[in-house]
Amino acid sequence: MLKRFLSERPLRLPHIKPYVPRPSDPAIFWFNSERDDIVSDVVSRICTEHESDPSRLELALNDAAFHEIRRLEKQRDEEARDRLGYWRSMIRRIGKMDDTEQRRVLHTIVTNMARDVAGNFDPRVYRFARRAVPRLIGGVMEPRRLTQDLMATSPEALGRVLKAQGDLEHLRHLQNRGSLVFVPTHSSNLDSIVLAQALEISGLPPVIYGAGKNLFTNPIISFFMHNLGAYRVDRRIRVSLYKEVLKLYSQVMIERGYHSLFFPGGTRSRSGMIERHLKLGLLGSAVEAFTTNQVRRIDRPVWFVPTTINYALVLEAETLVRDWLTEEGQARYIIEDDEFSQIDRWIAFFRKVVGLRGACIIRFGEPIDPFGNAIDGGGQSVTPTGRVIDPGGYVEHRGKAVPDPTRDAAYTRELGEVLAERYERETVLMSTQVVAHVLFRHLVQSTPGMDLFARLRLRGEIRVERETVCRELGDTRDRLRELENRGRVRTSEVVKEDSPIELLDRALNFWNGYHDSTAADLEGDRVVLRDPSLLLYYQNRLVPFAEEIADPEQLEAACEIEKLGVYR
Amino acid sequence: MSLRIGVVGAGGFGRAIALASARNGQEVTLWSRKERALPEPIRTSTDMTSIRDCEVVFVAVPARHAAPVAEQLGEVVDGSHLIVHISRGLVGGELKTLTQVIREKTVCRRIGALAGPLVADALAEGRPSGAILGTGFPELTAMVREAIGGSGLRIYDTRDVVGVELASATVGFLTVVIGYAQETGAAPGTLAVLATRGMVEMSRVGKTLGAEESTFMGLAGLGDLIAAVAGDQRPELRLGRALARGSNLETAIGELGAYVEGFEVAKHLLEHARRNGLETPISSTFVAMSEGRMSPNDAIQALMERRVGTE
Repeated sequence: MLKRFLSERPLRLPHIKPYVPRPSDPAIFWFNSERDDIVSDVVSRICTEHESDPSRLELALNDAAFHEIRRLEKQRDEEARDRLGYWRSMIRRIGKMDDTEQRRVLHTIVTNMARDVAGNFDPRVYRFARRAVPRLIGGVMEPRRLTQDLMATSPEALGRVLKAQGDLEHLRHLQNRGSLVFVPTHSSNLDSIVLAQALEISGLPPVIYGAGKNLFTNPIISFFMHNLGAYRVDRRIRVSLYKEVLKLYSQVMIERGYHSLFFPGGTRSRSGMIERHLKLGLLGSAVEAFTTNQVRRIDRPVWFVPTTINYALVLEAETLVRDWLTEEGQARYIIEDDEFSQIDRWIAFFRKVVGLRGACIIRFGEPIDPFGNAIDGGGQSVTPTGRVIDPGGYVEHRGKAVPDPTRDAAYTRELGEVLAERYERETVLMSTQVVAHVLFRHLVQSTPGMDLFARLRLRGEIRVERETVCRELGDTRDRLRELENRGRVRTSEVVKEDSPIELLDRALNFWNGYHDSTAADLEGDRVVLRDPSLLLYYQNRLVPFAEEIADPEQLEAACEIEKLGVYR
Repeated sequence: MSLRIGVVGAGGFGRAIALASARNGQEVTLWSRKERALPEPIRTSTDMTSIRDCEVVFVAVPARHAAPVAEQLGEVVDGSHLIVHISRGLVGGELKTLTQVIREKTVCRRIGALAGPLVADALAEGRPSGAILGTGFPELTAMVREAIGGSGLRIYDTRDVVGVELASATVGFLTVVIGYAQETGAAPGTLAVLATRGMVEMSRVGKTLGAEESTFMGLAGLGDLIAAVAGDQRPELRLGRALARGSNLETAIGELGAYVEGFEVAKHLLEHARRNGLETPISSTFVAMSEGRMSPNDAIQALMERRVGTE
């Protein structure tokens, strides 16, 4: 009961005096004063679109009722008891409703959906969060520093663990000139928290983002999510209208200049590989936001920031890879019982990463316009040779900006390909990933002809001389450096600077004591491959580069590894 | 209001596109490296900036010249330009399509590939024919139809751009195979098997590169191959016949007086197939035979002895 209450009506702080945003405040500070307008804009556009075609209107109502009845019948909870009656009665009446009645029902349904999606932004919660969250996380990581960190202007523990990279000055410069859309890779439920911190420490603006409704069931997380501008996404709802509401809400926010964040991969990368096939729905909403502004002659550019979130240790690695490896897992979109929901795993995770330099690197890539062009210092789109071009030209037909959803869908598909290519280039390979790759390649090499699942069963059976591992690590690192010099990928400072022995020890240290079973450990002078599934997960980040970083005698194994990429 | 059409390249296809567009009442500017004379009202220029004001630009240059020409074009066009290329080739060992090359060298995104049984002379004269345009942008299809379509040319469209480009490149190679077989007196049934099974094996290779297999069986693939075999005077057919008469590959290509892209493309496609574990018996055997690594008798025997499966 309380859980449902909190997830549907998250707590808000009472307002004694309304906050009047200052001109220097980020766009999101204006959100509360615009929220009703945004909701009615979304409702009005969707209703107008459906009302123009009576058969489409009836289809939308039938679709909504059918999917909601199906969902609620399966749920059999309190929400089902409350709402099932409404939808069952509606589906019986749709055919008998006249046009006016159908429009009224549509308006009600869409309004309820849009209100449920729309978030809240409370500057007081924002200020509290930006001061307290880094300190609390730091405190969990290093309890003995908690008092010092609470007093310090900039808490140290988090700073040691989290690094932000990229041309931050350029992004800071652009933030007041258009809408920034951060589109990161997605590995963990920690991503949005970590990214929010990276934006904060980089002097970049807060962003709005969609958060799964399942996250709103925890009252504390729900309170922060709801009051920091997050909009709620209920992935259980399959209704087409709901998807339209979500897309349009995101679009309207971007049109109005709110900086946004969404994960084009859709869900966390189960395999640990760099995402290749991106979901284009929300990406398309950002492209359409640009078009709509152009058609309305509003000069507010939309820029995408391809971002990679790189962890040396992934909180939910075991569950994710297990999911990837089982057919059941492929279809399991929302995981509610993973390490993210276990507070002891959070603490173990943070304690593990502290003291191990460079546990998480957020890399902000070069911003691009919706058509993949670079942006110069003045916020203008430029060709590869530096010639300034007008991005408005892309949505013009015979000299006039016109809406064209099919054209924009084609642009979105191309943008998806550009982002996937940028993800590879902007990925920062971490110590655990490089070490896991060398060990896993060794496993493949020493078990010719064996299939993947048979290899994964070889827990603790493969031992490699530590010296051999270090030699191969050194060679692999040299080849990665060459790739890095050619701009194909990036490596962390640790990977660049540590000796192979240090690199190996660091990776073993990360794994030991956090995961239920460690990925590998030392037994005398030999490295024992304890959990090939975990090694597979961490090494998967290097799949696109496997052939290029292999010795001639490792080439066959590398080709096998690269073929794993078809499942990306 | 007439469309402003740009044509880059003054070879057979470039001139044909320019003439067809002018016949449809469009305003045409043709760019070429050397001075060319075309009938009024077609404007010709050796200055790429003359293309800047065009709305739709047809790129009609052989694949091997595509990159430098696209680079020049890239200096004058922007996102408002719509580009269509007419080339049956691919670029380099990475099997880059012309669409990819244009995308890399220019900032244009609304790009399409025009292919199928298009013959330059027929297009120039307005004789009935058909073509296929691969593009994700319906507005580009509409404008190309307006520019050169009409009663003389039916232009179908597909979103499978890479399929159109690969199928088209494949036809160049299979035409050589058919030419060879014709010269050796192969029966019509043999030619049909070579054409259809050859296209099937290449469509499998295409699929791994993102193409749809069905595109190979449409106008861009089999449709174009039928036109080639029916005698539209393609140099590839003559190359195949010369090889069958005993010429070696280099001499035969040298004597053609035309650049044939199909053979090189096939070698790259076959290398890709090998790396991906795909079987391409007809194409691999023919390449081996043309390069003197296999005798014609051994080649036929090798093909006929293969296990027959379900189609």
